[in-house]
Amino acid sequence: MMKRIDFSSLIGFFVGVAISSILVLLFKENPGDVLKVLSGSFLQSKFDMGLTMFYTTCFAFAGLAFSIPFKAGLFHIGAEGQIVLSAMMAAVMGIILPESIGTFGIILIFLATMVLGVLSAQAIAFFKVYKQGHEVVVAIMLNFVFAAIATYVVLQNYQNTESQNPESSLIKPAFQIAKSDSLKVFFENSAVSSFLIVAVISCLAVWFFETKTKWGLEIKAFGENPTAAERMGISAKKVNFLALGIAGFFSSLVGLTEVLGSTFQYKVGFSPAYGFLGIVVALLAQGHPIGILFSSFIMAVLHKGASDLDLETQFLTRDFSKVLQAIIIFCVAGAVYLNHRRKKS
Amino acid sequence: MSAEILLGLILASIRMSLPILFAASGGYFSEKSGVAQIGLEAYLLIGAFTAAAVSFQTNSLVVGYVAAALVAAAFAQIFNILIFKFKANSIVVGTGMNLLAMGLIPIVSKTLFESTGSTPAIDTSEAALNQSLIMVSVVTVLMLALCYWIAEKSSFGLQIKFAGEKSEALTSVGISPIKRRWQAVTLGALITGIGGAILSTYLASSYSPLMSAGRGFIALAAVIFAGWNLRKAWIVVLFFGFAEAIQIQLQNMNLNVKIPNEFIQMLPYLATLVALLLLKNKQQAPKEIS
Repeated sequence: MMKRIDFSSLIGFFVGVAISSILVLLFKENPGDVLKVLSGSFLQSKFDMGLTMFYTTCFAFAGLAFSIPFKAGLFHIGAEGQIVLSAMMAAVMGIILPESIGTFGIILIFLATMVLGVLSAQAIAFFKVYKQGHEVVVAIMLNFVFAAIATYVVLQNYQNTESQNPESSLIKPAFQIAKSDSLKVFFENSAVSSFLIVAVISCLAVWFFETKTKWGLEIKAFGENPTAAERMGISAKKVNFLALGIAGFFSSLVGLTEVLGSTFQYKVGFSPAYGFLGIVVALLAQGHPIGILFSSFIMAVLHKGASDLDLETQFLTRDFSKVLQAIIIFCVAGAVYLNHRRKKS
Repeated sequence: MSAEILLGLILASIRMSLPILFAASGGYFSEKSGVAQIGLEAYLLIGAFTAAAVSFQTNSLVVGYVAAALVAAAFAQIFNILIFKFKANSIVVGTGMNLLAMGLIPIVSKTLFESTGSTPAIDTSEAALNQSLIMVSVVTVLMLALCYWIAEKSSFGLQIKFAGEKSEALTSVGISPIKRRWQAVTLGALITGIGGAILSTYLASSYSPLMSAGRGFIALAAVIFAGWNLRKAWIVVLFFGFAEAIQIQLQNMNLNVKIPNEFIQMLPYLATLVALLLLKNKQQAPKEIS
């Protein structure tokens, strides 16, 4: 049986872009020029392309971190805190581990960061399962707490003494493996790294997980009807901890992409709200893991383009990317509903 | 000396808690009517920017406050239309509202003042500051009285609560719960917008980027921490204001034992989580909240 592909979110996306372009007129700019900057800036050079690929990587992981709990009926807006916390962990490990342990050190960095990512997300599940705390509220609180902890740890103990900016010192050279990353070298030492390949594999793996494995199907079943799922013997506790654990795992990959794949340090405020951008990405793809790959690329292009608006236009700034995201969120949310209603009638 | 410090601390606590007080009161009505409200941050920012810009242009605080309230309420209609007409998820849209406010303000600011940063400072002469203090006092007392009356004494407040708890009951007496929710969200945005005005014209003398600094989320935390009880929420807000005041006090005091800023900043959030851990889980949330 061929499943009809649901294009409503794509329609919502284009409506959103159209509305944003009209909005541009209010600020005395030419919508055509703005669209050209937004969509074309990533093509300017290999370096720009690489940067867009880097954003794509982070957005895809963040999108997965949102979409999997969403399947279980959880609205997960805690990725931002987990990303920041795990980036801190990766940087700290990269600084304190001795270089002599070589590859083993890199494995340790990965493990420690991933474990922290998983646990920090499961903290939400803990409050949800045992204390009936609403996951959104708990996640908001944890986002602030984790950001404060990360900033504190980095600035108090690992501040880069050669820099005025709030950032950690660089991780040990032996752990800066991405420096010789062929993908990075090809894109003129841009931010992109082999984590892009990990992201692509992750999307495929999640697609397999959600459609073919028992756990994946349990998450879906629980999300669609918790009461029925529990009657069938699917434990709410397990689904919550599992779905959020996987989300935390992908959040930690954003942190690793940043620290091991790009900057080799923890910069306070490095994240342009990846956690929230992940929501947009996942909504745009309607939670489909392969779709997330495409929607994260589209969002990355827009994000990269928006950062050029400062230079290319008189009144618009990079902040326009937030406006664009918001309007796309609104239009996609609206379009999906309209489509469901049309199907019913 | 120590009495002076204490008095200063209490006054500072009240000052710092004002924007959160307004946002929490505004958030209370929305949440109570059954609409989860994480867009308070947006209304605070919009209110703060509008008040600073309008007060600067018209040289009148009163006009600034009124504009802040109205613009925030108008802004909330985007939220309302998406939630009630397009049945979108209130948390998705709330996230979008925050993004929209954060993105729109710098662009409007650049168009109006050729600066994405702060708006030009308003009048800070002695007389103007006194006027501002009187203005804030009057508005705050009025707001508290009005919110208390609406929430506890008026039939409108009762209907808002019914919209969040048992909407069929409202429908059966011929009142549309959607309408009450719509009004509750609008009222909430209006009140929160005034909180923003206080933030930019009383606690500061201009709008600076992202000046709400998570106060909208703290306000939401206060409402939840207080178990969706208005008066308890106000007390919680005072506590959060105290945490902020003490943070400023400590920075000025050069203590031997340094308490890191980050820890004091995360106090309200940590407190909310600890409360969740320790409190008995009475299901106090409005039943139909979504």
